[in-house]
Amino acid sequence: MTPKSIFSQVLVFGFYLLLQIFFVRQLVLFNYAFCFVYIATITLLPFEINRITLLLLAFFAGLMVDIFYNTVGANATAMTLIAFLRPTVIDILTPQRGYDERQTLSLNSMGLTWFVTYTATLTVIHHFVLFLLEASDWGLFLPVLLKVICSTIFTTAVIVIIQFFRRD
Amino acid sequence: MYQLVQFISRQRAFILFAFLEVLSLWLFYSYNNYPNAIFFNTSNFYAAKALKTSNSIKEYSNLREVNTELATENKRLNEMVAKLQAEQLSKSILNYKADSAVAARFKFVLAKVQNLTTTQFNNYITIDKGSADGLAPGMGVISSTGVVGKIKSCSEHFSVVISVLHSEYTVSAKLKSNNEIGSVKWGGTNPDIVEMTDVSRYKTVKLKDTVVTSDFNYVFPPNITIGYVRKVGVKADQTFHEIDVQLATNFHTLAYVYVINNKLLGEQKTLEEKSGDAKVK
Repeated sequence: MTPKSIFSQVLVFGFYLLLQIFFVRQLVLFNYAFCFVYIATITLLPFEINRITLLLLAFFAGLMVDIFYNTVGANATAMTLIAFLRPTVIDILTPQRGYDERQTLSLNSMGLTWFVTYTATLTVIHHFVLFLLEASDWGLFLPVLLKVICSTIFTTAVIVIIQFFRRD
Repeated sequence: MYQLVQFISRQRAFILFAFLEVLSLWLFYSYNNYPNAIFFNTSNFYAAKALKTSNSIKEYSNLREVNTELATENKRLNEMVAKLQAEQLSKSILNYKADSAVAARFKFVLAKVQNLTTTQFNNYITIDKGSADGLAPGMGVISSTGVVGKIKSCSEHFSVVISVLHSEYTVSAKLKSNNEIGSVKWGGTNPDIVEMTDVSRYKTVKLKDTVVTSDFNYVFPPNITIGYVRKVGVKADQTFHEIDVQLATNFHTLAYVYVINNKLLGEQKTLEEKSGDAKVK
């Protein structure tokens, strides 16, 4: 990676984190759909990033969001888990021709189907862990499930829509 | 030894993953046991400062509502002053007179809401007064319309409040019309409704009756409004009523709150603990 691309990655990381903390935090639809757009800090990192960096970045992003949500540890747990599973998910979703050397992890380069499947898979794992931890009560399983489904659709949609505004 | 090193270096991603997961789960589950762990929540200085800035931008949009609420409260307080003045005259006939320290034991601190949630399973509110203004964990918080919650942790200039909309928070309550005691707890989903339990089904419960804080309450002064009875049913075990209470506080537009400082709380608690010990012996 060139210094320039590292710099732009840092900008993107910061952008999604600030977006989450200052704007999207108040965004709740029908009391059930939450938006956790900051998941993109981890899902959009380039393919070739090493696993250790990925895990540390995910933990950091989760903890930052936790501080503002007063849910210490919950987001960090969910983020660390999806960072760990990310390489596996990418492997499973390998297109028939395999990944192209020049392909980058973005909507333009990977196509809509791949990008949505990939984002939705990691999002659903993240939300399930997060809401289950927060509820910490099996009696609330149905509301949790409803929250997971609604929020996954919401978060995925927002991440995809932001991709349409990328110029690269 | 060499093999061990090799193993660790091969599995280092998994080991780091396991370590981070254990760390974050430990943080998550131990958080509730340390009321003074202020670093990882919104009473953290930098987090609170950031929220304050972003909040000041939003503030203008609901000024009208805040104004109405404050005006209504002024009116209510004026009425109360008038009523109390009148009552004092008639009360002096009875021989009971509260000690002046007891009568004035509750002190109110006005604070502004910096951040709040209503949609999580455990909701918290951040306010802009902290230990520098005499606040401490455990103090009650009310709004101009009703009960809000209890302080969880304080930093120097900010505090985090456990809102009534928290799955592990109960308030001792009573029905205004017949003084039936019960407890109020949130069900976890609807931010406008809480549930009142422990009221025997053989007592009558009227719809629209006011639910207020009971007299057996360390945190709140008695007779602070919690909400209004909205639906009455009978629980599955047939011994208690199941009462849905419409909250009096509108958490969606909450802007200013009062923190209640019970100056004699320490004295009361020590006395009760002492006499409790004496009985056992």
